[in-house]
Amino acid sequence: MALVNIDKVHKYYGDLHVLKGVDLKIQAGEVVSIIGRSGSGKSTLLRCMNGLEAYQEGAIILDNKEVSSDERQVRALARSVGMVFQSFNLFPHLTVGENVMLAPKLVLKQSAEDARKMALDKLTKVGLAEKFDQYPDKLSGGQQQRVAIARALAMSPKVLLCDEITSALDPELVGEVLKVLEELAAEGMTLVLVTHEMNFARDVGDRVVFMHQGKVWETGPSAEVFANPSTPELRSFINAVL
Amino acid sequence: MIEFSNWDLLRNLLLAARWTVLLSLTAFIGGGLVGLLLTAMRLTRRRALHWFVRLYVEVFQGTPLLMQLFLVFFGLSLMGFDISAWAAAAIALTLFTSAFLTEIWRGCIDTLPKGQWEASRCLGLSFTQTLKNIILPQAIRVALAPTVGFSVQVIKGTALASIIGFVELTKAGTMLNNATFEPFKIFAMVALIYFLLCYPLSLVSQRLEKKFNGAR
Repeated sequence: MALVNIDKVHKYYGDLHVLKGVDLKIQAGEVVSIIGRSGSGKSTLLRCMNGLEAYQEGAIILDNKEVSSDERQVRALARSVGMVFQSFNLFPHLTVGENVMLAPKLVLKQSAEDARKMALDKLTKVGLAEKFDQYPDKLSGGQQQRVAIARALAMSPKVLLCDEITSALDPELVGEVLKVLEELAAEGMTLVLVTHEMNFARDVGDRVVFMHQGKVWETGPSAEVFANPSTPELRSFINAVL
Repeated sequence: MIEFSNWDLLRNLLLAARWTVLLSLTAFIGGGLVGLLLTAMRLTRRRALHWFVRLYVEVFQGTPLLMQLFLVFFGLSLMGFDISAWAAAAIALTLFTSAFLTEIWRGCIDTLPKGQWEASRCLGLSFTQTLKNIILPQAIRVALAPTVGFSVQVIKGTALASIIGFVELTKAGTMLNNATFEPFKIFAMVALIYFLLCYPLSLVSQRLEKKFNGAR
């Protein structure tokens, strides 16, 4: 069974029908980029995958657990799914190290020593071990986002969801964050990215999912989809952004 | 007629001011505790509790404190409770204070970005863990200045307790005036004492605001 199974998922905001029967399977180790115009439902789909948003019809099975927005379910799911946000969402009153250690200590009940080791390990991975005792507001946007990635990784998730994680960054800082993602992909981490970084989607991603009008409009291996889009909607989208 | 020296007047006013301070502290601490409870109720996912808190806050913010005092004082005696002016004032001011503090704290918690809740949730933190480790530490910094600032309103609000006969600073001033017929002098002294109680709190509030505004 695939790591993520999304089966005919419908999502409404009141009268607004945002997701109109989304089907998607993601295998362990895949790097999947979800692209599409704003309002196509790509961020909503991502947020449904870890229970941040409720969906009304269909099913999402992740790591053999059904996803729902029920509080306890969401918490159980946090061990399988990591999330990185566009706006970092670091805890500003905690140091970088404390940000990363918090959930392993509170949720996984790791000892202070183990949590510290884990945090240092993950921060080393994103190249920020020396910032352990700094507060987030002393860091650049790119560094903050890398800390956010380390914080998510500290829970040893099976899949990492990234919601436009470079969109709030100055252009010169995008590269350092993408580099971290590239390394994670090389290590075999399952990544699902909602992204506007088309070059990244094409060069690093295994597969591209093009969303349009609340549906998976077209999907396929990255190189193929970019070189040879089969629907006019994707063709015009690629022409517009590349 | 009895002669009062200025010192006699001031001494008696200061003695009465102790009750103003005590009533203020009671209202502030009591109101703080009730306010905490109401704030916690508001943060749960229970709709009914939200409505209750909202109604509570609207009622106490939307009616004059004096009416609240009257209702507690006369209402409870009508229902057969033998209630002293002190108890009535303490209850009414506690209710009043809790409603305002709840509203102030709601605002402080709402200024925190939604992403703080979402990130906590995605990391698997429970509601109480999120509140204790993420929300409260940040909200308290924001809330400190307006909370201390509001204590000034509580102190001034205690003056209304004089109307139901509780002898605090204002009531003492009225009584001394009835004996001396020197209203200007006496109420100037009363006002000065209120000012000396309130001004330091205003200063502290301003300091706190500067210290925490914009800082993490």
